[in-house]
Amino acid sequence: MLDGYMIETEPYYRPTGNEVDLFAAAYAARLPAMLKGPTGCGKTRFIEHMAWRLKRPIVTISCHEDMTASDLVGRFLLDPNGTVWADGPLTLAVRHGAICYLDEVVEARQDTTVVIHALTDDRRILPLEKKGELVQAHPDFQLVISYNPGYQSVLKDLKESTKQRFCALDFGYPDPSVETEIVASEANIDNSTAHTLVEIARRSRNLRGQGLNEGASTRMLISAGHLIKAGVPIGEACTVALIVPITDDPDMRDALSNVVAACA
Amino acid sequence: MAPWLRARRKLDGAGYGEALCQTYARASITVASEVGPEPAIEMADTLSAVTIKSGLQAGAHFCEAAPIAARLLKNFQRFRAWLSLMQRFAALAPESVVPVLSRTDALIAELNVSQLEAWLLAGVRLSGVDVEKRLAFFTFEAPEAARLLDRESKGIGFFDMDRRLRAYLSALFGVHPVIREAPPGRHDGSGRRSSFGESFIQMPGHYRGVRGPESEMLFRAALAHIGAHLRFGGRRFALGQLKPLQVAVVSLIEDARVEHLAMAEMPGLRRLWTAFHVAEASGALTAESRFARLSRALIDPDFEDIDGWVRKGRELFFAAKDKWHDPAISRSIGNLLGNDLGQLRIQFNAKSYAVQPLYRDDNLGLWAFPEDAAPEECSDVIVEGARATQGDDALPPDKEREETDRDPDADRVKPIPPKDPTQGVAIARQSEYDYEARVERPDWVTIHAVAPQAGAASYDREVRQRYQALIARITELVRATRVGRPERLKKQQEGETLDLDACIEAVRDMRSGFLPDLRVYQARQARHRDLSVSVLLDISASTGDPVGDVGVPIIDVLRDATVVLAHAMAELRDPFSIAAFNSNGRDDVRYTQIKNFAEPFTRAATAALAGIKPGYSTRLGAALRETGSQLARQPSHRRLILLISDGEPSDIDCPDPKYLVEDARRAVQTLAGQGINVFSVQVGSRDRETEERIFGRRNIVHINSIAELPEKLSFLYLRLTA
Repeated sequence: MLDGYMIETEPYYRPTGNEVDLFAAAYAARLPAMLKGPTGCGKTRFIEHMAWRLKRPIVTISCHEDMTASDLVGRFLLDPNGTVWADGPLTLAVRHGAICYLDEVVEARQDTTVVIHALTDDRRILPLEKKGELVQAHPDFQLVISYNPGYQSVLKDLKESTKQRFCALDFGYPDPSVETEIVASEANIDNSTAHTLVEIARRSRNLRGQGLNEGASTRMLISAGHLIKAGVPIGEACTVALIVPITDDPDMRDALSNVVAACA
Repeated sequence: MAPWLRARRKLDGAGYGEALCQTYARASITVASEVGPEPAIEMADTLSAVTIKSGLQAGAHFCEAAPIAARLLKNFQRFRAWLSLMQRFAALAPESVVPVLSRTDALIAELNVSQLEAWLLAGVRLSGVDVEKRLAFFTFEAPEAARLLDRESKGIGFFDMDRRLRAYLSALFGVHPVIREAPPGRHDGSGRRSSFGESFIQMPGHYRGVRGPESEMLFRAALAHIGAHLRFGGRRFALGQLKPLQVAVVSLIEDARVEHLAMAEMPGLRRLWTAFHVAEASGALTAESRFARLSRALIDPDFEDIDGWVRKGRELFFAAKDKWHDPAISRSIGNLLGNDLGQLRIQFNAKSYAVQPLYRDDNLGLWAFPEDAAPEECSDVIVEGARATQGDDALPPDKEREETDRDPDADRVKPIPPKDPTQGVAIARQSEYDYEARVERPDWVTIHAVAPQAGAASYDREVRQRYQALIARITELVRATRVGRPERLKKQQEGETLDLDACIEAVRDMRSGFLPDLRVYQARQARHRDLSVSVLLDISASTGDPVGDVGVPIIDVLRDATVVLAHAMAELRDPFSIAAFNSNGRDDVRYTQIKNFAEPFTRAATAALAGIKPGYSTRLGAALRETGSQLARQPSHRRLILLISDGEPSDIDCPDPKYLVEDARRAVQTLAGQGINVFSVQVGSRDRETEERIFGRRNIVHINSIAELPEKLSFLYLRLTA
């Protein structure tokens, strides 16, 4: 049933601490887990890596503002003979024992996320109200959510009652040396170029809250690295992959271009 | 030759006297040799116009100034522009022609003709109709004159780009010091350098003689240099018994040390800094030139110097490479080099010494000066700095304050408690647009916050009684259309649940062989209302006039209407603010905040409304900009300024009626560019064309019968924001 959700080859992941062991322990106890950290620091890559390592299928749901509870649990559809129920992705994972990964969970409205409450305590059940069914979670099922604390304003936050159901792993951008290694390996570029990119990114992160919502992420550095690998000069690669995507503010763009000039 | 003789004859015939004609003859010959004969002849007309407006003395000055202008401008088109500018100026400010003409060489050396025009017009605007004030400006007795001249002449200054430079500094070094502009007039010698302390940086507004893109580079280099100090510097060096020469050398080594550490992390900085090192390994061997050469030798690997002292400095410095992280090496190397220079008996004048190259700071931040021993020049900078830090600390740790530091309007200062509440305190400066010079002059208008005076406490009850029925109707209306309540959307393509009616229809269609409509879902959707409104009341003197149909002053009806409207807005839960303004010249735009966004609408606000009194004039543009700058901070999708006014802008210092109209138009356009709409409600107005020019035809509504205002205003608001 969930074969399509299996990850066959090992996704590259460079541990920065003991997060792999911690997560494995949490999975062994089937504790719901929360991954916290800024965008592009490797949360999604980490969970894919863990799914591969634990040999479990992974169902990923990207949350958004318009998402309703039906988008998670399922809904009735029409067929020639009347109505037919279709499981949503969450129900699918619950029934068949996958890791369900709710990406950027705060994006979803708070009343949507309460459907996971019964799943994340010792009951481990998912009530399908519309269908009148109570789904008991498969023994291998685990719920994982990710969440970016700085990215949204105070307007969007998890309910206290939701938060307290999870154990949390905190992700940040890795240390410069580790990040250099990651960028060099992912983009297949030499270490010194990767180092320069990491230096640029570290400086852009100094502007967090000072005009930028977020600094350049590891993901952006890897994109820049790919461009450099393809023969684009470092300055242009940074403009295309880091500066222009990150801000529309001309002053910030100017400052960042000069940061690139200072580091390169 | 013939036209020239004709021009001379004309002047002769005009009766200005023989002397002036002679002067003209001489001057025109010089002018002709500089820029050609035609302008030399045209000059006669200008001379004539200037003499008629400003008298014979001005004419004579004009004849002296014209050859100078011709020589400096070098080009007949520019010279012509100058001629016509002088003619215009003589018409605008006849009494000030002599002082301006007698400074022609200085002015043209600093400004080009269009900058000169902007400066002259600024002087005229600044003084309004006050001749004395105007004369003081053009004789440079008023300090404003020099300041504005500086601003016009230098093009881009630090504070035109401070935001991006601040971001640059924060990004590179992760530091966020307060950056201030050096007070004008203090550093007008050649030694204008940046300066820094523990938590502040003081930047010169301009570097003399540096313009355009180069000045931007220079600011960037200066900030990067200070950033390196802040990041890699240690504690301040103790001054001890060091002589000024040794202080200078130690500082120089310290500069090089922090720069090298910064360059190790950011190699690109070398390019930035090296560009400013222009010392050559030749010429006189003074202390200053040696310093400049050593500075260069320490940063520029390609630079070779034969001087023994410079070579020794370089060797010592690079030999200590492994210890660069330790600030103490600056002191030890500096001492060695300083002693050598002392033995060479090199003269060193600490008073006239300015650190080279330009981008480096004045080094005062490196040294701990004992309080009494601080050198004069330095002490006041340091004391200034201390005062600034103290001042910042003394402020309440207000969150808003932190945010304003990062805001574009960081120059907003915390009000000091007023002595006289009706006087108000300066809270901000706003720009103003001059349509003639086509420039927006920054910081032109001063906004004073005037604390609201509480009016009769009974007003709240009175107005509620008077408009009881209306308020009830509005409340009912608002409840009915209250937004935010979820709405059921039927027959949807997608949705959470099935829409039963649609399903039955679809199945019926299917069974009877028709193509069914597959939109069988229903969804619930919350309607969002995301709107912030600022109500801006014009309370100029004219609103005190009674109006025909009711016989009470406009302001009374205005006040009632505002209360009713505020009631509707509070009911709708739209964030809103209310402010009233009037003005008394550009230095005194009085702005009374009756309710801000954060406060609920309470009796206090109604009492404050009851307390507003009409007076003074209407400097509309400034008030709109001020309101806009507050509204811009509201995190709403739609932002609206609702202006309620009874006439067009005017002020005592603006004789030209078009000036403030064009300024207000510009303000409305600028705000529109920021996503803030201005909608105007005009009460009993006369000149519709002008109002439409300011706000645009669609953004204005006229209310002729003032008694209807309370009702119309609220319904208008509901329609406008639905």
